[in-house]
Amino acid sequence: MRTIPSRTLQIAIAILVVIGIIFLALAGILRPLLGFVMDPFVAVQRWLSDRVMTVVDFFTLPRDVSNLLQRNAELENEVSRLQSQVIQLQEQVSEAEVLYSLLDFARARPESQYVAAAVIGRDPSPFLHYIIIDHGSDDGIRYGMPVVTQQGLVGRVDAVTASAARVQLITDPGSVVNIRLQTLKREAQLVGSITGELYLQMIPQDVTLNAGEILLTSGIGGNYPADLLIGQVISARKKEIELFQTAVVQPIVDFTTLRAVLVVTSFKIIDIAPLVPEPAP
Amino acid sequence: MIQVVAISRLPLLHGKADLILLVIIAWGLQEKARQAWIVAVLCGLIISFVTAAPYWSIILPYLIVVWLARHLHSRIWQSPLLAMMLITFIGTIFQHLLMILGLIFEDIKFNLTDILGSVTLASLILNMILSLPVFIIIKDIAGWVYPVEIHE
Repeated sequence: MRTIPSRTLQIAIAILVVIGIIFLALAGILRPLLGFVMDPFVAVQRWLSDRVMTVVDFFTLPRDVSNLLQRNAELENEVSRLQSQVIQLQEQVSEAEVLYSLLDFARARPESQYVAAAVIGRDPSPFLHYIIIDHGSDDGIRYGMPVVTQQGLVGRVDAVTASAARVQLITDPGSVVNIRLQTLKREAQLVGSITGELYLQMIPQDVTLNAGEILLTSGIGGNYPADLLIGQVISARKKEIELFQTAVVQPIVDFTTLRAVLVVTSFKIIDIAPLVPEPAP
Repeated sequence: MIQVVAISRLPLLHGKADLILLVIIAWGLQEKARQAWIVAVLCGLIISFVTAAPYWSIILPYLIVVWLARHLHSRIWQSPLLAMMLITFIGTIFQHLLMILGLIFEDIKFNLTDILGSVTLASLILNMILSLPVFIIIKDIAGWVYPVEIHE
């Protein structure tokens, strides 16, 4: 009988044992055992790795910090530059939106000619409501020309220099605009006030004035072109003892945020003073 | 320019601060600032050119506050801040009285109570608040323009 050599038998047994262990490991049966054996080694490895990395960091970190600081400064500069660029672009977009809306308004009324101007200042006096615009007589702007936005009437040019002009807003206490009530087809006068509120005057007592009534320029007097939108009536005040009733008006233009305006350069102011009869002495 | 561009856009109710007035007062209260009269006239002319208000209602208050500043400085020189606030108060009231006078001359109707409450009082508060920082800044500028001479 031939006997299997002991050497071959040992190898075969070893292979079987290894295969068995692999199968057991793959089946997950050895996991608790492996964990029990490996955990101390892993813990030691982790401890050792931490110490080694600490030592490595000790030698390499100063250089990295210096690089990082430099890089951080560069990125901060870049962020600041981009932020200022974003603000500039937002400002340009906002300005472009205003100009586009003004352009739309001008295109919708091709019969008139306009000069767009930016609002560069306000009258320092708290009693008066004037704005300063950045275009003057060099751009064809003359005294008395009406000033509008895409929303409606703003006022009229009060003084002009070569490169700038002062515009009297319709909210100024010295401003008087002849208006027409859109649905009632009646005419009245719109006056400003020191507090910036607008009041309707010279409305006959027989007129039933409702809130929401739209106001347009009448063109009477020759100071403003007709049919420019001004605002709407908020409330009316009627007293029996007075000849006329008055009303508070909400302007359609927000005068506190005016940034750009259109000057109607094609409008010619008409001086009707010589036609007004003088009172007899 | 700051007055026309920025300060005029920052109202309290309907009142506005007058930075020029405050600067003139603060400059007039500086010991060595002898050109305060010239500063007042120049500022008055520049503002008169910008505003629609009558020129005299702008220039006169500036001259009055310079006179007050020079007058008070020689008497209560130990309390320049007190003088600054006092002249700001008087100057603002005087300026607004002249402006109201201008409105009357222009035949503009107004409610005096409304004006005093929402314009004059509000402007007065703004001017009083700004008077202290303006005085400090102008004092520093005056110290820079006229450095103290050291006698050995």
